[in-house]
Amino acid sequence: MISPLLTDPLFLEGAIKILFVFVLVTAALVISARNLASLLTTYTIQSLLLALIAGLLYLIEGSPVLLSIAALTFVSKVLLIPFFINIVEEKVKIRRDMKFNYLEPTSSLMVSIALVLLAYVFLSGFFALDRLFFFGAVIGLSLTLMGMLVMFSRRKVITKVLGYLTMENGVLLFGIFVTELPFIIEVLIIIDLIILVLLTTILAVGIDSTIEEYHQRLLKLKIWSGREYL
Amino acid sequence: MILYNYLAVGALAFALILLSRSHRAMNAFTVLHSLAYLALGAFALASGTHGFEAGNSYFYLDRLSLYEALVAALLFCFASVYSNGYVESLMEARELNRKNLKIFYMAFSLLLTTTTLAFFSDSLALFWIFAELTTVFSAVLVAILSARENIDAALKYIFIASGAMLFAFIGLIFLFKLSGEVPGCGGGTLNWTVLMANAGSLSPKMLTASFVFIFIGFAAKSGIVPFHTWLPDAHSKAPSAVSAILSGVLLNVGTYGILRMYALVRQTEAGPLVSGFLIAFGLLTVAVAVLNMLRQKNMKMLIAFSSVEHMGIILLGIGAGSPLALFWTLYYVLAHSLTKASLFFSAGILHRQYESNLAGDMRDVLQLQPLAGWGFIVGSVAIVGLPPFPIFSAKLSILLEAARLPYGGILVFAVLVFLVLASAAFARFLLEAFTRRSSGSVSNGLSEEPLQPYHVRLGMKVPIAVMLCLVLVLGVYCPPFLEKLLNGIVQELGYI
Repeated sequence: MISPLLTDPLFLEGAIKILFVFVLVTAALVISARNLASLLTTYTIQSLLLALIAGLLYLIEGSPVLLSIAALTFVSKVLLIPFFINIVEEKVKIRRDMKFNYLEPTSSLMVSIALVLLAYVFLSGFFALDRLFFFGAVIGLSLTLMGMLVMFSRRKVITKVLGYLTMENGVLLFGIFVTELPFIIEVLIIIDLIILVLLTTILAVGIDSTIEEYHQRLLKLKIWSGREYL
Repeated sequence: MILYNYLAVGALAFALILLSRSHRAMNAFTVLHSLAYLALGAFALASGTHGFEAGNSYFYLDRLSLYEALVAALLFCFASVYSNGYVESLMEARELNRKNLKIFYMAFSLLLTTTTLAFFSDSLALFWIFAELTTVFSAVLVAILSARENIDAALKYIFIASGAMLFAFIGLIFLFKLSGEVPGCGGGTLNWTVLMANAGSLSPKMLTASFVFIFIGFAAKSGIVPFHTWLPDAHSKAPSAVSAILSGVLLNVGTYGILRMYALVRQTEAGPLVSGFLIAFGLLTVAVAVLNMLRQKNMKMLIAFSSVEHMGIILLGIGAGSPLALFWTLYYVLAHSLTKASLFFSAGILHRQYESNLAGDMRDVLQLQPLAGWGFIVGSVAIVGLPPFPIFSAKLSILLEAARLPYGGILVFAVLVFLVLASAAFARFLLEAFTRRSSGSVSNGLSEEPLQPYHVRLGMKVPIAVMLCLVLVLGVYCPPFLEKLLNGIVQELGYI
């Protein structure tokens, strides 16, 4: 029943395009969500969508690298990283991120629409790709820019980490549609990503937590007196 | 094969630090690690081109990478000697937790290894990943004091540098795609040597786009305006031994990446356009940094902004694009690294004395800390580029080369104005901090308590003295082997 569909390139392309829309929706949710648990769920769904896209693209292209990317994305970004961030979120005991810098969610969403258009215009000047691949590149670049927006406009470190991870998802999407990078590079990027997430979230425990211990320690020991802290 | 020696030494040093129990042992292994890297680099250079065999297709050694790796090892060597006394006094003051000592030295050693491997990467993707790892390990060193503002500075550093590096990765994807269209690149490659051999046939338009993206990443890594905002925080909040490494070594990783990319672009029609782009950013960087320096009352912030300024000059030197400009830019890199690190070392001693970096808290500097005080004064004179220090001759030559560009006269005039302002910023700080005497002065109706001189360990004094001597020597005499090496680099990058 399903198997003839899986070999029909038209169906597969249509499915990938629908997934593109979902990816953009998840990016919009990451920009606007205030609840940390739902932010994490959104990221997990986004990564799952990426794994699915890579899988479907494998069915069209038949390149084994895409299948490995799908598997790697699933293991690292759907299972491992969300699991770890969840532990940290429980540790810091905060549920919501209500603080925004520069931009409120509504204006952020308006800016991100502009960013998608910008990515479209910019890339159409450079690539003569098939429609599907061109759209993949546009969605990838837009996702990267929207992740950057999250890093700019959110104050909590955990949310910033999710913004960084969204950016990285965008780069992955861009990469699989524009060209076929050697698999070893993809693996190294994931390792880099995991180390970075580990470090930032461990540091976040010190910053985001409600514990005042850090600040008191600072006052007591006169550490690094700079102008803002006197 | 020399690469495996580097790897083995790095792994051995890491393991020994992991196993050692005392501070002295950890410090000794760190010093030995950097000395071994110095020796390996010198050996590879001395044995000529057959010493450059990496023994692996992902890595590649040439004179430029060895030069940068040697500068890095030299700086690490001084910083690890300095760390012995400095870190001990941080622990005595209970600013650094003894439990974190091992993490400090492990990150220190890993940072040296990853920086060196970054310089030796042939594949630009591998270079990207090692550059990311240097961000991670140096951020650990910034956060090591685990005070809130250190963690803040470290996180800001990670987010800005790594976020920008993701754009650099998009640039690499562009480059990979682009190289796939050239027959000589075997369906796409990121190996610099292959790209360099085929640079002439790359499409200039795509290459420029790729360069711009890659530039964003490496510019953030080397503190180029407008991606510099993390730098003053991270460099001023980190322990001074670490600040010296951040300014003297890690900024070079970014400029090294930009230089490698520029050498590719220079061979295509896009060369002049990209030159202009680099010069514009260089000028902007110098301007913003100098204007920030003028209002600094915090010693380490002043030095940190001065690093931003110098990165701007280096960018100008790369953008000028002539063989002579490249030669002096490379000379500048060495001179800046040594001078800047010595300034941070002096600032570290003064911070131990006054427990503050603010000019307003310092008094009787030359009586209490003669070496650090004079070290800072001489270092300041050297860093603003007065003769007979090497930054003077390097800067002069870079500006003379820049003057030949279209609109070069205006450009050089603007830079000179900013350089005068930078000297004024240092002079103002020195006058404010170093002329205040405590004898009989009464402020707010309370007489100040006389300060006890902070006992500076010998290991903290020696690096400052040696580095300043080295800087002075480099200012009046360019050793023939250095000249030969730099000329070799200019040739290897296809400038002549």
